[in-house]
Amino acid sequence: MARPRRFIFTFAAVFALIAALLALDFFLARIDRDENRQHAENLFRDGRSLLAAGHSADAMDKLATALSLERNNPAYGLALAQAMMANGRDADAEQLLHELLDRAPDDGAVSLTMAQLLVKTDRPSDAKAFFHRAIYGKWGSDSTTQRMKARFELIDLLARRGAREELLAELLPLQSVAGDSTMLLKRVAPLYVAAGSPERAAEFYRELLKREPTDRAAVFGLSDADLALGQLRQARSDLSRAVRQFPGDTVIARKLVSLDSAFSLDPSSRGISDAERFKRSRKILARTFGFAEQCAQRPATPAETAVQDSARAELEATKSAKWTASAVERQLALSEKLWRAVPALCGAEATNQDGVLDFLQRLLVR
Amino acid sequence: MALLLSIVIGALVGLVIVAFLLLTGRLAAHMYPAGGEGWRRIVVPTLGALVTGFLLYRFFPDARGSGIPQTRAAIFINDGRISLKTVLGKFLCCATSLASGIALGREGPSVHIGAGIASVIGRQLELSRAHVRWLVAVGGAAALAAAFNTPIAAILFSLEEIMGDLHTPILGSVVLSSTTAWMVLHLVLGDEPLFHVAPYHLVSASELVFYAVLGIVGGLGSVGFVKLLLGLRKRFLRMPRSTIWWQPVVGGLTVGILGYFVPAVLGVGYDQVDRVLSGDLVLRTVLLLAVLKGFSTAMCYASGNAGGVFGPSMFIGAMMGAAVGSTAHALFPASTAGPGAYALVGMGTAFAGIIRTPLTSVIMIFEVTRDYTIIVPLMISNLIAFYISQKLQEEPLYEALAKQDGLHLPTGEFRSHARRVNVSTVIREPPQPLNPKMKLRDVVEQLESTTLGSWPVADAGGMLAMVRVSDVRTRASLGGGDDTLATLIGEIRARDGEHAEDEDGFVHVHGDQPLGQVLARMGETRHMVLPVVSRANVRMLLGIVTLNDVLSGYGVERAAQAQDEDPE
Repeated sequence: MARPRRFIFTFAAVFALIAALLALDFFLARIDRDENRQHAENLFRDGRSLLAAGHSADAMDKLATALSLERNNPAYGLALAQAMMANGRDADAEQLLHELLDRAPDDGAVSLTMAQLLVKTDRPSDAKAFFHRAIYGKWGSDSTTQRMKARFELIDLLARRGAREELLAELLPLQSVAGDSTMLLKRVAPLYVAAGSPERAAEFYRELLKREPTDRAAVFGLSDADLALGQLRQARSDLSRAVRQFPGDTVIARKLVSLDSAFSLDPSSRGISDAERFKRSRKILARTFGFAEQCAQRPATPAETAVQDSARAELEATKSAKWTASAVERQLALSEKLWRAVPALCGAEATNQDGVLDFLQRLLVR
Repeated sequence: MALLLSIVIGALVGLVIVAFLLLTGRLAAHMYPAGGEGWRRIVVPTLGALVTGFLLYRFFPDARGSGIPQTRAAIFINDGRISLKTVLGKFLCCATSLASGIALGREGPSVHIGAGIASVIGRQLELSRAHVRWLVAVGGAAALAAAFNTPIAAILFSLEEIMGDLHTPILGSVVLSSTTAWMVLHLVLGDEPLFHVAPYHLVSASELVFYAVLGIVGGLGSVGFVKLLLGLRKRFLRMPRSTIWWQPVVGGLTVGILGYFVPAVLGVGYDQVDRVLSGDLVLRTVLLLAVLKGFSTAMCYASGNAGGVFGPSMFIGAMMGAAVGSTAHALFPASTAGPGAYALVGMGTAFAGIIRTPLTSVIMIFEVTRDYTIIVPLMISNLIAFYISQKLQEEPLYEALAKQDGLHLPTGEFRSHARRVNVSTVIREPPQPLNPKMKLRDVVEQLESTTLGSWPVADAGGMLAMVRVSDVRTRASLGGGDDTLATLIGEIRARDGEHAEDEDGFVHVHGDQPLGQVLARMGETRHMVLPVVSRANVRMLLGIVTLNDVLSGYGVERAAQAQDEDPE
């Protein structure tokens, strides 16, 4: 062991060196952090630009490097996940998003991206929970708009899936705030029709027409809401007004013509003879049968074939038959059965292709 | 005092290594920035190699290479002496070399720097040579803990590779210095792991087969890399001495040209490892990187640049792992994890194959990933790679490198072999023990023709003592022929008691003890014949072991059988 003087001198020198190195290390670490942060920011900016331009692979490269430099920056991780999604690397994106959510479970932006990923990968049920996390989660700036955006994405998803009750549940919170914004009213009103609440839709359209009487979409939408409410006469009146307001609008005109055609085929109209009633019901069945046969995108199931066969037999049997009350009922019932089978047989949107039949079915249901 | 010194060394070494890492990293970012001009990637490493080559030749010849063989040489040959000049040279040359993109690692040099700092302090405090030697290992562990952010692996590496002995008495000091350096690292740089790894897990039990395949690939790859490095180095060492100062330029130019086309080859490459661990690189890229990195590292090291192979081993292993993982996942996507998991295991596999420290490699990957679930496949893969490497490359890399420099360092394998040669391999049948009631005269008569120097004495209860035949003869010749052996045993116990292992008071050994201990025991007690007794019942005589047997166990044949006899 060293002499005391040498011992003290050595330790004093070592401690002085430790102090100096500590200062040097903190200085270097600060430079390192600053330079890394700056470099990461540049990479992030470039990556976002590349992603916006559709170069997802290059964007991923930049964003991955940015993230490796600034691991704790969730914006970099989120952007990388979005680039991965754009690049088709959904599994990697999901893993990264899970990591980000592990760190910040209430991050609104990350939750929304996760929901979008789950929708993309056909897991809408799982997506709903993440949409809710996004709606009620934390957002940086402009949180109200971002939450609204998330809610509308969820609403769109529910509308596409025909989940009426859930859709209505998502729309109801908007009812109180929708009145403040014409844009919001315009967006929400048609969704209420899809959610099975046409009375609210009609209310919103009327409010819109008060603010902008020449709003074509509102006029058109109001007629839809009236139709959904079963108020066909009111719908016709709305459409007639719209035709007058927008004389060159062929879509509105066509809809009015369809509605008039439907009225002209309505077997439940008052004042028509029994023979006319029979003739109309047979025409409806023939039109529905023909439509269902033409639009079919797949072979019919045995149940659907049975309905089609019954309809064919009924049409054949009543070709030269006289009117009977039971025949009218039978034809209308078969027509309704065929019409109900149309979405499954021809696709969800198929019923919109024949406006006359659509209106007729609404008339008959009423 | 030793513990305080360990903490001080840990703190100082930790701070120096953090400065080394930060300087190297920042300089590298400026010298060949990502996305920078292509010519820089050729010129910078070449110039860097030229400058360091000159510095190494002219001023710091001991700072060349990795630093781990040099640290071991300091411990086993130079009484722990590493000069301050070497420490400064290592810091300067490695910082320049690594910052210019030379494809070598920073951990080996860090160990040398840390060990050197500890050595300087130890000598400044005028500690004994043994203590300075220990401090070298303490400093090395601290440096590795800071450089690789793995305090436990640093402890193990220091004991397993540097000291070559896991049972060394400096464990406490190594632990203290390692943890102190690690704390310094975290104090300055924060709690960021070296690599960011997704939580991988074993997808199915059948996946272990693919990890075994990775072990084979990793083992063969490791052997290939080591043979390439040693072969190239041998050629460089054969070149005229006057070329030494510019030899590193060959490595610099090689990595520069490769880096011009594939920038990921330059430098330590941990950013690429991070990416491959995330499963970010495709099969073609990882294969290309594994081959190019292996070649450029071998070239850089062999040509005499300053830097280690510790980091590049991890790099090569990660790429090999990702290649195996990508293939397995493409073939069996449902039953295998992604390539990132294999890259992770591959890191440890290559480390076990190249550096040959299987225990350290397992713990190191565990520490790097902080994930327990990968340990089982890691152990399987590591052990296979280690076994293949042992079979196909007789000498571990660091020993072979030292030998190329003319240094013959003790290997861990040599030590473990020495430990494996134990008493049970040379034990022989015991002679008929003497009865304690026998008169000394009768004993002399019975043992007249014996060649054994000592003889066991036992009663119905078992062993009582070992008596030297010479003691019996002397006592009998001095008029004690009518005394019984029992009277003599009391005196023997009094004399041998301090060397005995239990209250029975007679020297003995057990079957599982290494022959080295038997030799030591013979030296202490001057018995050339020792009884081998049961550990469950120390009085149960199982056999005897003689000096001749011990020497035969080591492969040394003695000419004179008589030398088993008492030297007196």
